Amino acid sequence: MSPIIATLIQIFFILLIAPLTTGLVCFVKARLQGRKGASPFLFYVTLLTLLKKEMVISNATSWIFRVVPFVVLGSSIALAIVLPLIFTDASMAQLSDFLIVAGILVVGSIFLVLGGLETGSAFGGMGSSREITIAALLEPIVILIFSTLSFVANSSTIDGILGSQISLSEPYLLLSVIALILVALAENARYPVDNPATHLELTMVHEAMVLEYSGKYLALLEYASAIKLTVFSILITNFLFPSTLLDASSWGVGDLFVVLCLGIVKIVLMMIGLALIESMIVKMRFYRMSEYFSIAFVVAFLSMLVALLSSYSSEPIKYHVIFSIFTVMSVVLLFGKVRLKAILRYYAFSSLLIAAIALSLIPLVKEEEITHLWIFAIFTIVTKTLAVPYVISHIGHAKKSLTNLPSFLRPGKSYFLAIILLIVTYFTLRNISIVGLIEWNSLLYTAVTLIVLGITMMIIKRNIFSQIVGLLVIENGIAVFVLATVGSLPLMIEFGIFGVTVATAYILAILSAQINDLYGSTDTDDLRELSE
Amino acid sequence: MNPIFITIPFLAAFLGSLFLKTESQVRKINLLFSFLNGGALIFYAVPFIFHARGKEISHWWLMDSFSMLFIFLVAFIYIATTIISTRYIGHEYEEKIINLRQYKLYFALFQMFVLCMILTLITNNSLVLWLALEGTTLFSTFLVGLYRKKTSIEAAWKYMILCSTGISLGLVGILLLSYGAHEAGVAGENIFSITALMESAHSISPNIIKLAFIFLFIGFGTKVGLAPMHNWLPDAHSKAPSPISAIFSAVLLNIALYAILRFKFITDSAFSDPTWTNNLFLIFGFLSVILSALMMLIQVNYKRMLAYSSIEHMGLILFSLGLSPLGAVAAVMHMIGHTFIKSTLFFGAGEILIQWKTTKVEKIKNMLTRARYTSVLFIVGILSIIAIPPSALFMSEYGMFSQAIVLYPVTAIIFFVALGIIAYAMLALSINMIFATEKNEKDAKNKAERWNITHTVMTIELIVVLGLAIWFTTSHGVSVIEDIVKDFLFIK
Repeated sequence: MSPIIATLIQIFFILLIAPLTTGLVCFVKARLQGRKGASPFLFYVTLLTLLKKEMVISNATSWIFRVVPFVVLGSSIALAIVLPLIFTDASMAQLSDFLIVAGILVVGSIFLVLGGLETGSAFGGMGSSREITIAALLEPIVILIFSTLSFVANSSTIDGILGSQISLSEPYLLLSVIALILVALAENARYPVDNPATHLELTMVHEAMVLEYSGKYLALLEYASAIKLTVFSILITNFLFPSTLLDASSWGVGDLFVVLCLGIVKIVLMMIGLALIESMIVKMRFYRMSEYFSIAFVVAFLSMLVALLSSYSSEPIKYHVIFSIFTVMSVVLLFGKVRLKAILRYYAFSSLLIAAIALSLIPLVKEEEITHLWIFAIFTIVTKTLAVPYVISHIGHAKKSLTNLPSFLRPGKSYFLAIILLIVTYFTLRNISIVGLIEWNSLLYTAVTLIVLGITMMIIKRNIFSQIVGLLVIENGIAVFVLATVGSLPLMIEFGIFGVTVATAYILAILSAQINDLYGSTDTDDLRELSE
Repeated sequence: MNPIFITIPFLAAFLGSLFLKTESQVRKINLLFSFLNGGALIFYAVPFIFHARGKEISHWWLMDSFSMLFIFLVAFIYIATTIISTRYIGHEYEEKIINLRQYKLYFALFQMFVLCMILTLITNNSLVLWLALEGTTLFSTFLVGLYRKKTSIEAAWKYMILCSTGISLGLVGILLLSYGAHEAGVAGENIFSITALMESAHSISPNIIKLAFIFLFIGFGTKVGLAPMHNWLPDAHSKAPSPISAIFSAVLLNIALYAILRFKFITDSAFSDPTWTNNLFLIFGFLSVILSALMMLIQVNYKRMLAYSSIEHMGLILFSLGLSPLGAVAAVMHMIGHTFIKSTLFFGAGEILIQWKTTKVEKIKNMLTRARYTSVLFIVGILSIIAIPPSALFMSEYGMFSQAIVLYPVTAIIFFVALGIIAYAMLALSINMIFATEKNEKDAKNKAERWNITHTVMTIELIVVLGLAIWFTTSHGVSVIEDIVKDFLFIK
């Protein structure tokens, strides 16, 4: 059927479902917080009630105040028209160029800001100033995310990006999607950027701007934000599952029904996820907002960097490469940490990533090695992510005063040294040829860097716990080395090696507790009784 | 009979030591099992050593005359050490230096430690070998740190950290080697089998083999106590209970060397030329001897002196292994002789420690009057370890020098000087302890020492050394050792 009908169906679907979206979040959140909560369909009634109500508008306002609700609603609806939410290649698809989409978003927020300023009240101005700050921080991230995606998909429209079905075939695009989720949270004024449920002057952003609106105008504004939330949640799920979209030029009623049902499922799932996030984390202080956006920016930027590198080296980057990079990065971060808990957390995280490497190798190996990789991953998680950190922190923590761990180097210099080591290892490995290891190059590099970083850590850190973790990092390096070379060990041996790791950690933890008892410190420089 | 059954009596002794209630029960069960296990092992090993039984090679096990020679040594020292332990640790228990929990822990760990050494020797799987060797470190850490004192905990810490790191690097070497075999087309789990690797070594890429052997050598070399990686050795030997020092020095170091030698064979047959590995052996052997000669001069502690002497002898063995096949014969003789003499000396050191409660040489005087049996046996041991002629070590060192002076004259002379320094330093220290007198009335009143079980063991060991010295000179002895050498040395 014709693309125009497709577009119309899409708009009607979004307009119809939007109030349910907002209602669902409140409902699930209430349930998660142990309340009964209002019906998810309450928001329809709210909107209708608001439409019937009388409006109170300040005399001091100009025509802009009256235009704002329409422009904001218009921008939301425009998003619902151009973006590929249910159909790809619909009638307005060529308008979904990411710069245009970013422009539509900005028009919406600019007018909202103007509306907030219009009445001259203190709250409106405060909310506007906050909103425009956030919008300014958000803009470069949106551009980065979509330029990465369009670079990889070779198309500048979001429709084209989704149509080429690239998003998960290239693992680094997962980073872009993560950044997109972070952006979507901020754009829709949800946690941790804004609290949609408060009218507290210290925290509100979006609510402060619409504070002066009432009756029909308020209904329009609320409706607009509900539409925006719906659009973003469907868009993100579409990035993860691009095959759930219908082609606008050829579709049947049966397909349409399935896809609409899927759309509802997507919204329900996303809203449950959102409610979970909002129940677990708290709103950030406004001055820490820059950190949140830096994280989003770095994630988006990393994705772009890897995309560029991969196209430059004309070598496809697979999941295990991404996980290896993360493993090395978490060990480098571990390098500069001084608190035992932080060190153990980073160690556990890097071990978890090694398990992820093993799992991501599954599609690439022969049939009979798959079970080995599963066993390897499960053993790694059980022993190195859970048992070893528990053993060390349990025995080490029974004795207090382990928070301050001395080192020969300050954290900054440690990071510098770690990065130099990474570079040196890279060039050394380039010059040593090991036959047949081209395919698993990144794994070999990871293994060797982990071993080198572990040894360096044992040398430069003066603390006994750093030495233990250094030894454990070496063992992690060897685990990656197994994956890079022989692939799998006999089951009994694998079990034995993991057992040895736990036993080593246990014995060293006991010894360090005894050293701490006898010497009153955990500084290896104090171990000088035997220097004849 | 499947060799895995040997684990059962060891585990029984382990559990018995842990769960029996009183000191005498633990002592009896350990003596019983040590005679049982040790006797069975010796009985099993002797036919292999004299080639009355041929090699037995299976998927998991590798038993030839070389590994069985080591089994014999381990079994002998195991029995001797258990006897001495009941005397030494029992004495410390009576003096309340250690409590019953530590007493039981000592014997339990000791049994597992010996089991790990035996598994290292009879396995044909490189990874099981690695696990067992790492197991020796894990089980013996608390044996070194038995005394919960600053110094012993520090020694245990150094021992554990250095050896674990070293052996981890050894694992990298094993994996690289297996990977090379995998690339060369060795099938399935055979890539971890030592004998399969020996057979297919020539097809493995030389690049990988070289890299792998360096990792293995450095890694296991840490456990042997070779020169730049030796730091843990004097500390651990001087702070561990004396029977443990004895078993460390007499067999544990040799076992790490055994692992290196197995991989040396693979490397050599890959190059079909032993020169490369031999050079590595020569360099590290030389360094170890020189280092211990320098350190020996400043020793004030008799147990540390013995520990440095162990480094020296490991260096000597490595050096003569690197010389030539004839040097290897000398090296095997040296290993056997060193095992018996060094354990005798550490047993003697334990006896001195019991009576004087110090390891400082300067505080020990009048040994000849206060401890006549110990001092005589100790000085005989010292004379044997510095290779004064009737000793078995004289035979081996003579064989080594006759090779070295031809091949590397300058190095051989430096060696001579180094050995001279070591002999001087060891004699100077022990003569000071034994013959120096101090006019102190109290000492003279002390009762003369009674003959005890330690002296019996020491005497038996010294007699064995004398017998070995005579046997090594006969053609039968030399031919047996030569046959053993043929089992582990790659000869072009």
